[in-house]
Amino acid sequence: MNSRFATIGFLVFTALVASSQAAELRVEPARVEFTDAFARRQLLVSVDGRDATRKATYQSRNPEIVSVDPSGYLVPHANGLVEIEVKIGGQSTVVPVQVTGFENIRTVDFATEIEPLLSRFGCNSGGCHGKARGQNGFKLSLFGFDTEFDYQSLVSEGRGRRVMVSAPDKSLLLLKGAGLVPHGGGRRLEPGTEPYRLIHSWIQAGAPASAPNVPHVVKLRMIPGERVMEANEQQQIAVMAEYSDGSRRDVTREAQYSTNLDVVAVVSDDGLVTANEPTGEAAIMTRYMGQVAICRILRPQGAPLASLPNFKPRNFIDQLAAEKWKKLGLKPSNGCDDPTFLRRATIDLCGRLPTVDEARAFLTDSGTDKRDRAIERLLASPDYPAYFALKWGSILRNSNLAGADRASYAFHNWLKDMVARNRPYDEFVRGIVAASGEWADAPAINWFWQSRDDQLHQVTADTAQVFLGLRLQCAKCHHHPYERFTQDDYYGLAGFYTRLGRKSFGEPPPYFTSPNVTIGERHPVTGKQIEPKYLDGAVATFTPEEDPRHALVDWMAKPENPFFSKTMVNRLWGHFYGRGLVHEVDDLRETNPASNPELLDALAKEFRDHKFDVKHMIRLMVQSQTYQLASEPTDENRKDQQNFARFFARRLPAEVAHDAVEQATGFKTNFSNMSADSRAIDLPHERFGSYFLDTFDRPKRVSGCECERSTSATLSQVLLLANSDELEGKLQNGNARIAKMFEAKRTTPQIVEELYLATFSRFPTPAELSTATGYIDRDAEPRKAVEDLLWTLLNSREFLFNH
Amino acid sequence: MFDILGSSIQTCDSKPSRVDRRNFLRVGGLAVGGLTLPNLLRGEAMAKEAGTSAKRKSVILVWQAGGPSHIDMYDLKPTAPAEYRGEFKPIPTNVPGIEIGEHLPLQATMFDKFSVVRSAFHTNAGHGMGSQWMLTGYQPTIEVNDNIYPSCGSVVAALRGPNEPGMPAYCNVPNRLDLGKAAYLGASYNPFSPDSNPNDNGFQVRNMKLPGNLNVNRLERRQQLLGQVDTIRRDIDTKGDIVGLDKFYRDAFEMVTNEKALRAFDIHKEDPRLREKYGRNDLGQSCLLARRLVESGVTYVTVQAGGGWDTHGNNFAELKNRLLPAFDRAVAALVDDIYVRGLQDEVLVMAMGEFGRTPRINPQAGRDHWPGAMSVLFAGGGLQMGQAIGTTDSKAEYPTSKPYTPGCVLSTMYHTLGIDHHHVFYDQGRRPLPVLNEGQPIAELIG
Repeated sequence: MNSRFATIGFLVFTALVASSQAAELRVEPARVEFTDAFARRQLLVSVDGRDATRKATYQSRNPEIVSVDPSGYLVPHANGLVEIEVKIGGQSTVVPVQVTGFENIRTVDFATEIEPLLSRFGCNSGGCHGKARGQNGFKLSLFGFDTEFDYQSLVSEGRGRRVMVSAPDKSLLLLKGAGLVPHGGGRRLEPGTEPYRLIHSWIQAGAPASAPNVPHVVKLRMIPGERVMEANEQQQIAVMAEYSDGSRRDVTREAQYSTNLDVVAVVSDDGLVTANEPTGEAAIMTRYMGQVAICRILRPQGAPLASLPNFKPRNFIDQLAAEKWKKLGLKPSNGCDDPTFLRRATIDLCGRLPTVDEARAFLTDSGTDKRDRAIERLLASPDYPAYFALKWGSILRNSNLAGADRASYAFHNWLKDMVARNRPYDEFVRGIVAASGEWADAPAINWFWQSRDDQLHQVTADTAQVFLGLRLQCAKCHHHPYERFTQDDYYGLAGFYTRLGRKSFGEPPPYFTSPNVTIGERHPVTGKQIEPKYLDGAVATFTPEEDPRHALVDWMAKPENPFFSKTMVNRLWGHFYGRGLVHEVDDLRETNPASNPELLDALAKEFRDHKFDVKHMIRLMVQSQTYQLASEPTDENRKDQQNFARFFARRLPAEVAHDAVEQATGFKTNFSNMSADSRAIDLPHERFGSYFLDTFDRPKRVSGCECERSTSATLSQVLLLANSDELEGKLQNGNARIAKMFEAKRTTPQIVEELYLATFSRFPTPAELSTATGYIDRDAEPRKAVEDLLWTLLNSREFLFNH
Repeated sequence: MFDILGSSIQTCDSKPSRVDRRNFLRVGGLAVGGLTLPNLLRGEAMAKEAGTSAKRKSVILVWQAGGPSHIDMYDLKPTAPAEYRGEFKPIPTNVPGIEIGEHLPLQATMFDKFSVVRSAFHTNAGHGMGSQWMLTGYQPTIEVNDNIYPSCGSVVAALRGPNEPGMPAYCNVPNRLDLGKAAYLGASYNPFSPDSNPNDNGFQVRNMKLPGNLNVNRLERRQQLLGQVDTIRRDIDTKGDIVGLDKFYRDAFEMVTNEKALRAFDIHKEDPRLREKYGRNDLGQSCLLARRLVESGVTYVTVQAGGGWDTHGNNFAELKNRLLPAFDRAVAALVDDIYVRGLQDEVLVMAMGEFGRTPRINPQAGRDHWPGAMSVLFAGGGLQMGQAIGTTDSKAEYPTSKPYTPGCVLSTMYHTLGIDHHHVFYDQGRRPLPVLNEGQPIAELIG
């Protein structure tokens, strides 16, 4: 073992001092071994399970051997054995510390020790020397992804002034960093501190480049990994780094920290977490040498609940959701009523409102299994594949640009057919990722064709994001700062597409896998040909006869693939519950934890165990009590936005809103080159002119990200619904719903009832019925009054929202 | 909101922006992308904190899509070789020592009310990427026809809101600009556009006038009925969209029924002689409409200066006969009008495109894309006028002094509005992105 990376601090022993009256005092680790002068250790002290690291007092019995600071951080100074006394609230314990090998002078390694400091002090961030053109002539690789480049930049460039071996204190790196000479980035480094001394000793030793095979960090671990905290409570964190040679070091003071939700919890530079008043969940992230780890901080709404008497789990979704609610003290809302369920399920499964007849039949059905029957009916209807083809077509960029008009219809129909036949999801993905041939036979090649201008990179990035839930675009140019994936990983994935060829005729042209590499691009750092490599590390080699794209799908669909199944179930969850268990739905990086990891894992396993049966997963979700909760919050769950203790209402997507208005008014727009009964959700691509669809932000289909679809409100949307000739025309049209009701000589109460069913999928309450009939019957022009009523219903949030 | 650079966002030329973030969080915004109503509330809060002095400030950007020819307009090189200098001659302006192109005679007579930056530049010669860079301050990494970064008008809408309640904060006239949208700020900050040409005799804003069969009385009855019918709870969504919609409904009713908005958009109320002075064409009338809008409380207006600036062929005839006469007249009339109304300290007028044009003339008597040097025109906004700022080399190819980036141009604009361009937003990937990632206000302009 390399002596510079000693194994220290065995965690298995924990000092335990307990008596029948006193609180339980624990110190972690119970004993420490330091085997070189550079080893460090953060002690963690707790009383009755609550962190007390910063409340305890520490005393070293011999500070000349090991010193300890007020936060319990140990630093060796000489060989020997010493005891550290830890005191709190009248209790005390000792931690023995053994120092050996202190004289083992080591050279400071550039890659593993200097480079992390450049990251820690922000020198190589995108706003400073890490940006593409550097800062004032000094350029570093962004977030330190290119150690060799950074070494050359520091040691060989800048006329040798950045690092001066003969006079380390005169090195610009130290002078500028410490703000001793003017520095645009200000003072980053305090003279006399450990980072300063580390850089100083590296320069003094001749500023050596990294030795080959220097052990590198392979894993970070945060201790603890999860904590339930009270407001204003503090928790010291320790960070352990595991190296490729098996050694471990405490890097608590070298690592960087950040929080993803600083209203809930903040973290200091030395790893002290402080929980704030607001409840919720924060992920504390730590980063060191390209590795990341997180610690989840929970701030519960209230005291943990032993049971949820009003909640009857239907399946494992409900059980696992309820476990989390109990932990957080979240009481779920009541179950939703029948009309809300029917409207919700019809929108989410079929992209439309229930018809008046459907609503009436469902509401008057007294069967206890009517919700399950409705789910089966909707899943079997042609509207389910139509709606999901729209959803997939948007993120698979199905467009008619560049001559792909007929191909876009074909791809849309292919998607619809795959969904309708409920083909296993891996087969569905194979049909896209490995599509080969002419568009008429393999219409999914339009996915490649619509990325034709930057095919390799766009397809690589989309493959990662759409099917693996990984946003790898950043890694194309630099090490992804929130992820463990590197530029090599990105180019490894791109390597599966480097033999993709296309003919020089046709729009889209036929695509095929060539026996040879079809692209000239090289790896930007190594300059070598781009080779396929699986994301979890294994390099792949293929014979000219093999198609790397099929191998890529084989790898995706393996049971042990950590991304594929999770990404799809999370995407489905996001569709039905209004927000992913991981949010955004296609951003499953390690540092963006799921709000309920156990539930996500269980869903992913279920999906794999059922041979990627999409309908099975949808059925489980829509049948769950969790999906069937009311959207009205309770006092206990009002603030929570990620644990699904109620249904999260959302605006209807553009196409659904368009069709809902037409269905309710009974006026149908015809789209050119589409059959007369085609609705907005049936459109195969985005280029059917429609002011309504543009105003409600239908996706442009230029991104693989679901975030391209916006459902936020605009003034133009309101003006369109509230004050447009377009809407008035639909209300008044002689063949539309209102005209037909008057032709049929319906009574006012019948009219009101039908309009409520057509818009809200429910009967009016007696009060509503009386308000509406009163309004109509008092008007000298009852037909205008009915138009007013339908206008009012259409402009209600109850209409525009799936709630 | 991952705070990746440590405890706060810092760039070499910026200060930490924690305070802004805390303000943001205090009003209960969500972590990601689509920041809707809370952002607006925060904008109002920020404006309050900044005092009322900046309250009425506004911006009109005349956007010359396609790339106007700097060497034929504001940066002529009469001594350059014939294949560069072209056929236009410089003429003196009313500012001693400043000459501009002969086809901008109206602006030349009042150049004490303008300043031109001749040394603006960037490095991307594609329309989409260049436009996005100039309109957002960020160079996109891929060529797309939609915003990756929020346009500056959307940023203004998010941080400042409208100057008058009931008016939109950010307008595009006459139509929505392809790259004028809000990206990760959320659709609520997309521009409002009349979607109709103010030069048409029947001009009216889309869906702002009451539909034919409806009168105010009936609209008000509907509104009352809506209050009785629309009783669903406002706290059933988590993104504040329902509350946001309620606000838009109030704005919409106010716009439709209140004289103010209707009057602002009613260009027919202008004196026909003034309409003539702006030029009876799309650009002239759009500039006039823009002035009406900022007077009525719109904070940011982008005027589309028509197509055709992309003069790959027949550059000189196009400029001389079509583009420059309308542009000269409209911009001169607009700036004159603003001075006449005493608005020169409140309203900033800017004119620019995505890049300049190749100084070397191509075989089709055209000029191609050239981001190496471009001219940006400023007027009003309380800035220092009567200047020609920066120089380019003898062929107008690159700056030789005062090289100013897109960030410098836009930060000058943000400065006049009292917006801190270091303010940090977060994109959908939770990347922290300041309003601008480079550039400082142009010293010669802010004085």
